[in-house]
Amino acid sequence: MKSEELKNQEYKYGFTTDIENIKAPKGLSEDTIRFISKIKKEPQWMLDWRLKAFNRLKVLKEPNWQKPKYPRIDYQDLYYYSAPKSMKDKPNSLDEVDPKLIETYNKLGIPLNEQKRLSGVAVDAVFDSVSVATTFKGELDKKGIIFCPISEAIIKHPDLVKRYLGSVIPISDHYFATLNSAVFTDGSFVYIPPNTRCPMELSTYFRINASETGQFERTLIIADKGSYVSYLEGCTAPMRDENQLHAANVELVALDDAEIKYSTVQNWYPGDKDGVGGIYNFVTKRGACRGKNSKISWTQVETGSAITWKYPSCILQGENSVGEFYSIAITNNHQKADTGTKMIHLGKNTKSKIISKGISAGKADNTYRGLVDIGPKALNSRNYTQCDSLLMGNKCGAHTVPYIRSKNSSSTVEHEATTSKINEDQLFYCNQRGLNQEEAVSLIVNGFCKEVLQQLPMEFAVEAQKLVSISLEGSVG
Amino acid sequence: MEQLFAIDLEKISVASEQEKKDRKKNLQLFFETGLPNKKNEDWKFTDLNSIIKKNFKSVKNNYDFNFDKKIDIINEFEHNYILLVNGVYKSSDIKFEEDEKVKVQSLKSEDNLRNYSKNNLSNLNKALTLGGLDLEIQEDYKCKKPIVIYNYFTSNLDNKIINNSNKIKLNQNSELILIEYNVDHKSKYIKNTFENLEIKDNSVLKNIVIQKTKSNGYFYKSIFGSQGYNSSYQNFILTSGLKFNKVDLDMNLNEEKSNCFILSGLSLGKDEHQEIKTRINHLAPNCKSYQKIKNVLQENSNGIYQGKIFVKDIAQKTDAYQLSKALILENQAEFSAKPELEIYADDVKCSHGSTSGSIDDEAIHYLMTRGIKKKAARKLLINGFLNEILENISEEKIKSFLESRIGEQIDAI
Repeated sequence: MKSEELKNQEYKYGFTTDIENIKAPKGLSEDTIRFISKIKKEPQWMLDWRLKAFNRLKVLKEPNWQKPKYPRIDYQDLYYYSAPKSMKDKPNSLDEVDPKLIETYNKLGIPLNEQKRLSGVAVDAVFDSVSVATTFKGELDKKGIIFCPISEAIIKHPDLVKRYLGSVIPISDHYFATLNSAVFTDGSFVYIPPNTRCPMELSTYFRINASETGQFERTLIIADKGSYVSYLEGCTAPMRDENQLHAANVELVALDDAEIKYSTVQNWYPGDKDGVGGIYNFVTKRGACRGKNSKISWTQVETGSAITWKYPSCILQGENSVGEFYSIAITNNHQKADTGTKMIHLGKNTKSKIISKGISAGKADNTYRGLVDIGPKALNSRNYTQCDSLLMGNKCGAHTVPYIRSKNSSSTVEHEATTSKINEDQLFYCNQRGLNQEEAVSLIVNGFCKEVLQQLPMEFAVEAQKLVSISLEGSVG
Repeated sequence: MEQLFAIDLEKISVASEQEKKDRKKNLQLFFETGLPNKKNEDWKFTDLNSIIKKNFKSVKNNYDFNFDKKIDIINEFEHNYILLVNGVYKSSDIKFEEDEKVKVQSLKSEDNLRNYSKNNLSNLNKALTLGGLDLEIQEDYKCKKPIVIYNYFTSNLDNKIINNSNKIKLNQNSELILIEYNVDHKSKYIKNTFENLEIKDNSVLKNIVIQKTKSNGYFYKSIFGSQGYNSSYQNFILTSGLKFNKVDLDMNLNEEKSNCFILSGLSLGKDEHQEIKTRINHLAPNCKSYQKIKNVLQENSNGIYQGKIFVKDIAQKTDAYQLSKALILENQAEFSAKPELEIYADDVKCSHGSTSGSIDDEAIHYLMTRGIKKKAARKLLINGFLNEILENISEEKIKSFLESRIGEQIDAI
C-alpha cells in the first residue's frame, strides 16, 4: 500500500446498521436490572445475583489511579440494554435473520454462510447484545462441548453457571467488574468436557452498534480435566462521535491438565485524529489455573479504542500450572493504553511468561503495568518478563510500571525492559533495498512484534499483521 | 496520630512569632493525614504507619544534644570531618583544605517553612526541625581529602524522633567526596531527614552512606537534588544494619551532559526493612543515569526498590538504566521492586532489569569441587554479589575500608 493511500485511509469499519432497537429504560437502576433479567427470561437466582452486585456497586467508587484520565461517565445517561428488534422472536435459521444484519456481518467479513466450512470457525456473533446464530453446533455437540450465548447457558446449564460464574472475578471485585455483574447482557459460554480437545478455534465477534449503549458482555470458559480450547475474540466498531463504554468481564477456569488459549484482536473505533470520540475499553479478564499442570495463555493485539485499560491476569493455583501473556499495544494520534497483566503465583512449581510490546506514535500514551507476585508457598516458581517499547516521535509517551514481589527463596524472577526508537540503520538498509519509509517502518514494527504475532492462530495472524501496519498510518515522516 | 506523637512545640526556640505559627500549621497538617500507609502509591511496599505503630507506643520530640564521648575516628584514610549529634551540627575539622574554600555551618531552616508538601513527613519535619548541616564548596575548588560526617546519636533516644535538614551545595567546577558514617547506641528512635543538594556546572559529588554497627534506628531520608551542566552525582547507599531505612531520592538533571549514579548494596537481617525509592528526572538532552540496587535478604527481612526514570520530551539522547538484583536466602524474606519508566522523548536508550532468586546451586557446587567448604563458598558468592557495587569507587583506601565493612556484614550471616 502506498503511503498516500495509507494516510487517507479512514477507519474501515465505520458504518452503522439502521435497525430499530428495543432499549431498556435509560439509566442505571434496579428497574433496569429487572428489565434486563426479565427480557432474558432469567431464573430468580440470576436476578438475585445481579441485584447483589448492584447493591455492592452503590458503595464502590470508580478507580482513578490509572494513567489515562477520561471525562466523568454519567451512568444515568446510558442505555444498558439494546437488542435488534427482529430478534424478539428467535429466528430458526439464517434466512429469517434481518438481511441488514447479515449485510453488516458480511462487511465485517464474518463467515456466517458458505465461508464457515472453509474457514473452520464456529462463530457466535454478538450484535450489540444478543447472539444471532451459532454455527457448527452439531459438530461441537457430538463432542459434548457447550458453546452458546451465556443467556442460554443460564437457562440450560444452570449448575455449571452457578458454580463458576463470579468464581474468578467476584461480584465485589472492582467498580467496572461489579457494574458488569449487575447489568451484563450477553456473551459467550464455553464448556469443554474432560479429556476433550476442541476440534476448532472458537470465535466470537463483538460489535458495538447502538449509540449511547455501553456494552457489558460476560464470557465464561471452563476447560475440564485434560481438555484444550482455543478461543478467539475480535472486535470492530462503527464510527460514533460520542464516547462509548465497554466494560466486559471474561472468566477462564482451567482444571487439572487443561489448557485455554485466549486470543484477542481489538480494533474498535479509536476516535478521530483530534481525539474526538472512540471507545472506552475497560475490560476485566482473569483466568484461574485451578488444577495441576493447567495452562492459560492470553494473547492480545490492541490497536483500537480511545482508551484501553485492561490487565488479563492468571491466578496460578494448581501445582505446575503455567500462565502466559503476549501483548502488542499500538497507540496512535490521541489514543491511550494502560495495559499489562498480573501473574499471581500461589502453587508450587508455577511458571509464567510475559512478553509485552508497546508502540506509541502521534500524541499517544502507552503504559505497560503489570504485577508478578510469587507467594510464600509458591516454591520453585519462575517468571520471565520482557517489555519493550517503541516510540515514534517526541509527542508520545511510553511508560513501564512493573510491580515485582518475591516471597520465597527458591523462586526466580527475571524482568527486563527497554525503550527505544526505530533503529536508523535498519531504516536506511530497508530504504536502500527499495522500500519506502512507510513500508520500511511497517516491516520493522512487524519484526518488533513477531514474538507475539507468532502466538496468534492462523486466522488472526494475517489480519493482525495488517492491523499493525494500518494502525501506524501517517505516523512516520 | 496525636496519641502516638506526644509533641511539645513550646520547647523549640523560635526566632519569631511567625515561625511559631508556621511550625504549628505544619504540625496540624501532619496530624490531618498522619503517617503514610500503603494506600499511598509511594509507600505501597512500606506501610510506615503500621510499622511505627507496631514498634512505638509514644513518640516524643528530642531536645537533648549533650554529647561527651570521644569520636571514634576512622583510621583507614585521611579525611576532614564534621560532627553531627542527633542530626544537629556540633563541630568540624576541615584541616586538609584551603581556607575559606569549604564553608561548614549549622543550618537554620525557618525560611522555607511555608512550602507545604504532599509528603506528610516533610510537614512533620518542618514543624519540628532543629536545623542540621549547611555545607558549601566554593567555585573552582576540588577538595583534597574526603569529608566524613560522623553522625553520632546519644544513648537516651528511646521513643524519640529526630527531625533535621541538611543543605549541601557544590559551586561550579568543584569536587567533593562526602562520607556519612552513622554511629549510635542501640536506642530505638526515628530520624526524619530532608536534604537539599545543589550541584552546579562541572562539579562532582560522591556521597557514601554507611552504618558502623547494627542499629535500632528507623530512618527516613528525603533527598532533593538539582544538577547543572556536565555535573556528576554518585550516591552509594551501604546502610546495612538499620532496623528500618527509606531513602527517597528525587534528582533533577536540569542541564545537558549531567549524570547521576545510584548504587546500593545491602545485606538485611532479622526484622530489617529497607527501601530505596528514586525518581530521576531527565530534563535536558544528553544526560545519563545509572542505578544498580543489590540486596541480600536473610530471615524475615524486607528489601524494596521503587525506581522511576522520567524523560521529558526535550531530553533526547538520554541514556538511563535501572537494575535491581536480590539474593533471597530464606523463605521468610521478601523482595519487592517497581522499576518504572515514564518516557516522552523518542531518541533515548532506557532500560531496566530486575532479578530475584537464591544463590546459584551450580556455582556453589563448582566452588565445592575446588575444595572450598559450602559455607565459605556461599560467603564468597555473596561477597562477590555485593562488592560489585564498589567498583565505581576509584579511591583505593576508601574502597578497601568499605570492602572490610561489607566483609564484616557478610561474616555475620
